[in-house]
Amino acid sequence: MSLEIKDLHAQIPGREILKGLNLTINPGEVHAIMGPNGSGKSTLSKVLCGHEDYEVTSGEVLLDGQNILDMAVDERSRAGLFLAFQYPHEIPGVSNANFLRAALKARLPKGEDIDAVKFYKQLYARMDQLEMDRSFTSRSVNEGFSGGEKKRNEILQLMMLEPKYAILDETDSGLDIDALKIVSRGVNAMRSENRGFLVITHYQRLLNYIQPDIVHVLMDGQIVHTGGKDLALKLEEKGYDWVKEEMLAAAA
Amino acid sequence: MVSAPDILEPVETEAPDISDIRVDSVGDFTFPERNKFDSGFGITEKTIDYIADVKGDPDWIREFRHKALKVFQEKPMPTHWATKDLENIKFDEFRYYLSDGQKPKRSWDEVPEDVKKTFDRLGIPEQERKFLAGVEAQYDSEAAYSNIKAAVEEQGVIFVNSTEGLHKYPEIFKKWFGKVIPTGDNKFSALNSAVFSGGSFIYVPPGVKVKHPLQAYFRINSEQFGQFERTLIIADEGAEVMYMEGCTAPKFETATLHSAVVELVAMKGAKIQYVTVQNWSSNVFNLVTKRGIAHEDAEVRWIDCNIGSRLTMKYPGVIMKGRRARGEVISIALANSGQHQDTGAKMVHAADETTSNVISKSISIGEGRATYRGLVHIPKHLKGCKNNTECDALLINPNSRTDTYPAISVRGNQHATQHEASVSQVSADQIFYLMQRGLTEAEAMSLSVNGFINDLVKEFPMEYSVELKRLIDLEMEGSVG
Amino acid sequence: MPSDTPTGLLSIAPARSTSTPAWFTTRSNAAWAEFQSLPLPGLKDEHWRYSNAKKIELADHAPAKTPTAEQSKAALAATEGLKERAARFVFVNDTLVESDTSGLPAGVVCVSFEEALKSHEAALQQHFMKGDLPLGSGKFAALHLAHVKAGTVIIVPKNVVIEKPVEIFHWVVGDHAAIFPHTLVVTGDHAQVSVVDHYRSLEGEGGLSIAIADLVGGSGSQITYAACQELADDAQALHLSSITAGRDASVKSFQVQLGAAFSRSESVSDLVGQGARSDMLSVSLPIGDQIVDQRTLQRHKAPHATSDLLYKNALYGKSRTVFSGLIIVDEGAHYTDAYQTCRNLLNSNDAEANSLPGLEINADQVKCSHGSTSGPIADEELFYLKARGIPDIESRRLIVEGFLADVIERFGNSEVLDTLVARIDEKLVRAE
Repeated sequence: MSLEIKDLHAQIPGREILKGLNLTINPGEVHAIMGPNGSGKSTLSKVLCGHEDYEVTSGEVLLDGQNILDMAVDERSRAGLFLAFQYPHEIPGVSNANFLRAALKARLPKGEDIDAVKFYKQLYARMDQLEMDRSFTSRSVNEGFSGGEKKRNEILQLMMLEPKYAILDETDSGLDIDALKIVSRGVNAMRSENRGFLVITHYQRLLNYIQPDIVHVLMDGQIVHTGGKDLALKLEEKGYDWVKEEMLAAAA
Repeated sequence: MVSAPDILEPVETEAPDISDIRVDSVGDFTFPERNKFDSGFGITEKTIDYIADVKGDPDWIREFRHKALKVFQEKPMPTHWATKDLENIKFDEFRYYLSDGQKPKRSWDEVPEDVKKTFDRLGIPEQERKFLAGVEAQYDSEAAYSNIKAAVEEQGVIFVNSTEGLHKYPEIFKKWFGKVIPTGDNKFSALNSAVFSGGSFIYVPPGVKVKHPLQAYFRINSEQFGQFERTLIIADEGAEVMYMEGCTAPKFETATLHSAVVELVAMKGAKIQYVTVQNWSSNVFNLVTKRGIAHEDAEVRWIDCNIGSRLTMKYPGVIMKGRRARGEVISIALANSGQHQDTGAKMVHAADETTSNVISKSISIGEGRATYRGLVHIPKHLKGCKNNTECDALLINPNSRTDTYPAISVRGNQHATQHEASVSQVSADQIFYLMQRGLTEAEAMSLSVNGFINDLVKEFPMEYSVELKRLIDLEMEGSVG
Repeated sequence: MPSDTPTGLLSIAPARSTSTPAWFTTRSNAAWAEFQSLPLPGLKDEHWRYSNAKKIELADHAPAKTPTAEQSKAALAATEGLKERAARFVFVNDTLVESDTSGLPAGVVCVSFEEALKSHEAALQQHFMKGDLPLGSGKFAALHLAHVKAGTVIIVPKNVVIEKPVEIFHWVVGDHAAIFPHTLVVTGDHAQVSVVDHYRSLEGEGGLSIAIADLVGGSGSQITYAACQELADDAQALHLSSITAGRDASVKSFQVQLGAAFSRSESVSDLVGQGARSDMLSVSLPIGDQIVDQRTLQRHKAPHATSDLLYKNALYGKSRTVFSGLIIVDEGAHYTDAYQTCRNLLNSNDAEANSLPGLEINADQVKCSHGSTSGPIADEELFYLKARGIPDIESRRLIVEGFLADVIERFGNSEVLDTLVARIDEKLVRAE
């Protein structure tokens, strides 16, 4: 049981972005991926979810042993893969509550509906954890939300959908320290031995609040370095040049 | 071609057999025909006399019909601006009057069983009737059932079919009939004026606020039969009323014509809301003229949703005749392949400080075409008039089509008008986001489309908005993936 | 009293000299026949809604006579023109009286229409009046083609950039004189040019100008064009422009309507190449009984093209404006961005603004919008200026000037901007 990425190559027309990426996330683990701009961090999250802008040219992604690369975006989601978007989309006219109900209902056998009372009870409890006002249930998804509100809303969805594997794509970007604490608290509450996390970030700051088990460095479409949480501190302090030098030294 | 029969003998047909009912899908079924009167095919002076005889029209109505026939025959089709599809209407191939020759029913028990079945299929829930103040349902040309709750009747509200209205309440009826929409307004209002039957007549006395919506269901149930109901609603000073009209129709082999005229009169301080959900089958030409007059401080609101028909041409209007009068049109149109929803609004400001608001949203699916036509007229020497118009179109498929043709005319420097229109698609990113949460592409599209019109659907009464969403989902099926 | 016998332009057949190329004489004669056979657009014609084709009084006008030496001299004296220019042409009554092309780079063709008929037949045959004129003035265009003899033909070869504007003046002189100026601009790949046409009255009653401009932008080229109509208050003007923007070409066109009792413009942009762009801009400042009638069409025939229309009218007195615009996105013209905005500022209680903004969309992944507003100067805006001590009349003038200058600024040439703003200011003073 794990999310296994094997020799993954992906491209947009005319440019290869992921160039043989390998990574295994076991339930209970929190992996962080750091890397300079343009290294392929956001591409990885979109490729895993099946965004049609990217073409997978070779490799495998196994979710608990099942290859998900032939599955549609929604099938992957229902199989247990969740992406907290870097830029969550606004959905005009669709209320948060209706959206979540629709997403939860999609996970039930055809014809079954969710228990509205239980649903709201759980929803309100989760919102309280994220310090979200009740009015968010009736507001259109992400519409007119501040940056912090959008990110909290992503974590709310994570909490409600309870995926097996969650990818957080730059969840810390645009958050002030208070919002960052709230968001992290939500994520930490969801940590369990049954759930794996992949935290993609540009800054070490987030990792003070969501402590990773393993930290990877992504450069030029490949994982070039793996270490413990100290690695993040080193990257924050020294930048990425030393990783490059090490790579060159290793290649020489 | 069959001309109108010379004799007035009822034409007996066989009693209906429920087992004959052919059910294809919701709102898509037909009952055996059972008509006692039939004006035959085509429209001539004889047709007019036949209808007037059957209905026992007073002389002034008979004369009104004959004059209207002349206007109808003389007026050209408005194809210099409207769609050429109008030329496919063969007026000689329609029957202009059908009736079961029975008086409108007063109690539910007297309603024929097959008609009750029809209502069941339409999904009018039993318990809903409790909330409705009265039901005036039209089965073919005549009302098959009409019932006003005692409470409403006690308030002095008149809610009858138009024939009963003109016979029983001539003093009110004659004063306003044909005054809001003159016979010659357009070719189809002239046609309706010549052959009208059925429709509602409502009078709400001064100060009476009708709590629950008055409701009517219209159906077409005879092949090649055009329906020409005529509705007149008068809300006297300070009165308030909401009227709801919903249409579903069975499918036929040949095109069917529906051409209604609806006139609303809101006296000083009165408020009329007229709600329509139009879901004719996709072979119906639906050419409707709807207009209201709003006197001082009065308000006329048209809440209009067009889902069905082959071609709908309908531009609800408000003439704001008194100071501070308000007019509003809220409109949703859904055009699927083979359909053209040509809808809009007419706002005529005829007094100071009048305000009008038009919000129109259309969705084009497959090769469907949605058109918005608007007219805003603020003539000279008025003060403080305002209009706001917003129309947004959503295109679902690459071959979907939408057009917008507003006309705004403002005179003087004491008014403000604002018109905004946009055309867009549901973005690929939005669909990706929704699918990442586990919705299928079709569900994602349906949710997005419902989101697009959600703020307008809220304007419909609850029971309609639920049905609306269901109908829209049905229409969206198969448009993606 | 009008008689049944046609008079004026309805009956005076055009005269063509024997030196005119045969193909052109043939087209011209055919146009005359077409003019005579076509009916005058009626009141029910959608392209003339809120307007009236009879406002162009064909029977009362005759082709302008060749100017006298004094008239030519007077016109030249009144032509103030730009200091920084690439070329200048001055026509009086469709007769060339001055041309100066000294500021043009080598290889550019910039000649009078009459000259082009002799020297650049091929280009004329390829580009002259090839548009379909879909906005209602087919009859008037036929009349133009029947009579046209003056105007300018500008052909800019590939990669040639003309920095300074080409300026053309058309003067009309004499009672009820009609002129038919033509402008043809063709740019090669990545060429650049800007052209300003002026239409003015020198003396005499009720002139008429039926002018046509054909602008053809080659791949990656840029054309900036302005038609500035400042005819006398009792004149009539019709300006038809037809724009074709090729792949990645950018064409900016302006309609500046300050003169004439009745002034109509019909502007059509065809976006035929991927990545093409057309900016359609207009300002008008009608006063008294002036009528300004504007018809526009943005036709997207290729994907990834952009069109942006902004028309602003500031109305005074009993003036009227009609704006009728349509965006058509053809099947296959996906990823179109098309915008259309008409703003009317009503400055008197008798002025009337009519707007007919339209959209016809037949493609996918399209971003289209139109907006139209009509109203007076906002109270808050006026209050703000007055609160700074500016008197009411000055405040209003500033606001209107700003309202219109916002459009003219997009021409991108400061001398043209200054000149036009000065003309607007002059007229604003008259408006008050």
